[in-house]
Amino acid sequence: MKLKLLAAAAMLASVSAPALALDIVFTHHSSASNTFWQAVKKGFDDGCERVDADCQMIFTQTEGSVQEQLANMEAALAREPDAVLTSIVDNTALDEIVQRARDAGVIVIGVNVDDLEGAAGNARQAFVGQGFLPAGYSLGEAQSANFPDEGPINVLVGISAPGQNWSEQRGAGVMNFMEEYAAANPNREVNVERIDSGTDLATVSDRVGAYLAANPETTAYFDTGFWHAGVARVLADRGIEPGEVLLGGFDLVPEAVEQMQAGYIQVQVDQQPYMQGFMPVMQVYLSKTIGLAPADIDTGQGIVTPADADAIMDLSAQGLR
Amino acid sequence: MMRLIKLALQKPELAALLLLAILIGVFHITSNGFFLSYANMRGLLGFLPEMALVAVGVTLLMICGEFDLSVGSVFALMPMTMAVLMVAGWGFLPAVAIGMLVCAAIGFINGFLTIKFGIPSFITTLGMLFMARSMTVVISGGFPPRLQMDRIPEQLFIAFVGPGDLLRASFLWFVGIALFMAFLLGKTNFGNWVRATGGFLPAAQAMGIPTARVKIACFMICSMLAGFAGMIQVLRLGSPLPSIGEGLELQAVAAAVIGGTSLFGGVGSILGGVIGATLIRVIDNGMVLSQVDSNWFKFAVGALTILAVVANAWLRKRGRAMKVET
Repeated sequence: MKLKLLAAAAMLASVSAPALALDIVFTHHSSASNTFWQAVKKGFDDGCERVDADCQMIFTQTEGSVQEQLANMEAALAREPDAVLTSIVDNTALDEIVQRARDAGVIVIGVNVDDLEGAAGNARQAFVGQGFLPAGYSLGEAQSANFPDEGPINVLVGISAPGQNWSEQRGAGVMNFMEEYAAANPNREVNVERIDSGTDLATVSDRVGAYLAANPETTAYFDTGFWHAGVARVLADRGIEPGEVLLGGFDLVPEAVEQMQAGYIQVQVDQQPYMQGFMPVMQVYLSKTIGLAPADIDTGQGIVTPADADAIMDLSAQGLR
Repeated sequence: MMRLIKLALQKPELAALLLLAILIGVFHITSNGFFLSYANMRGLLGFLPEMALVAVGVTLLMICGEFDLSVGSVFALMPMTMAVLMVAGWGFLPAVAIGMLVCAAIGFINGFLTIKFGIPSFITTLGMLFMARSMTVVISGGFPPRLQMDRIPEQLFIAFVGPGDLLRASFLWFVGIALFMAFLLGKTNFGNWVRATGGFLPAAQAMGIPTARVKIACFMICSMLAGFAGMIQVLRLGSPLPSIGEGLELQAVAAAVIGGTSLFGGVGSILGGVIGATLIRVIDNGMVLSQVDSNWFKFAVGALTILAVVANAWLRKRGRAMKVET
């Protein structure tokens, strides 16, 4: 009996806490001034605190710099961590280093952005994040419910970061939907244009504002980030009523939720950044303690509408949504 | 007549102004007449003061013979400081005052370190670029505080004013500050000291000009203008995102150079900096209205910026080479 109790206690101890604190490093392509990634960091830090892991998130100095991300990963691997969490913003640049980490016995989980070919394109064990193409499609589909019943549909798609997987894929998802919409509505004129909209609130406001001034018949603007919140302010400044130009995009940052409350943004897709930071830590913990293999988690194609905005605002301001 | 043309072409800001007029004409045509439309001008003139104020400060500093690469970060730090203090219960004006003090302190540190240790300001302010950006994230905890717009005197900074509500109050601030800076540079002893310090430092020192103080004052003015411009942008957009102003330092330097400011100091004008900033905004805005393919957008902006500087230099050279009968 005593032996059984001792064995059970030993097993429980081994499950509840590893012998040494887990060493988990999170490298990605974004700088510390990106609000979205601060929410991921909050989830990551909270997750690490729950399992007493020794964790570090490494930001890049330059927003979107894959070279800096690679250098950070090299430095992180040199200290032989238990796990590396990383965004895979390029389809080839991270292949070799991820494979090397796996060969060295390091758990590697892709987070936020995945290789376009998924597991076939990169040796990461799992992906925790949003499927960008379907998310863009979902956004277009949800916003189409607000399209006017008659007349031409003129859509502008703002590619926030041309050439980067996350932005291009989301934009492509929206445009895929619009193609299907045009095919399904052969009697309506459907025009879709894309623009290099930028990743700065003021720049996006200026560029899209200029476009809308020149094209006042625009039906909807889709942003591949949250920067259409600035466009909403431009519309308000011009005395344009909410809903005259439909706005939709991604992520529930407070600026976007605020504009949903004001009625200017009708649809937003949530990808739950807090969960993207928290869940990979749990996966590493389960993998190291009881041997469960990390698995893919889709953190959301969740469509959020103004009806949900009030409830979300508090969570968003705390970085939990 | 020829004499007037020669003089005009030799003035760097007037050459830039000519280019600006040409580009406005081209974009007005390629945008099917939308460029100069009321709605577009309203948007363009709303954004312009924010970048132009930074360019004014950078121009002054470059004439003084120094650089400031930290302006983009200070642009974000000042409004973040203000917003954090306001969320903590401070009033708007005290919060703004503290924010401006932070900017002045950063300018002082930039200038003091540069002069005291003989470091190129390029390096000093590059370091400050990272430090100030980091401080912006640190004091906000990564999550930007929500500005309570009802506590902000919008009429004073961002409300639309003037005929047809074409301009924002910020534009009047910008015009007032630019005129004051132009007066300071063109009509006062301080202005002469700035040009002498930037033009030929040993001679300025030999003449007894307090060059160290002049440079530190220029660093402080530059930082404070960047912070003030950042505050205006945040009040306009309603959100103190820690990422605002990234890359602004290079645009400000480009604006100064396009406007004829010498990279080696001593030469330049506030008007030139303002025209340079306007040119950059016009190029960006005109590209959108001309519906340039998004994949080519940055290429076009970069190419036009280089073209602007090359054409500016060429016009000045032609102006100098013109022979005028005396």
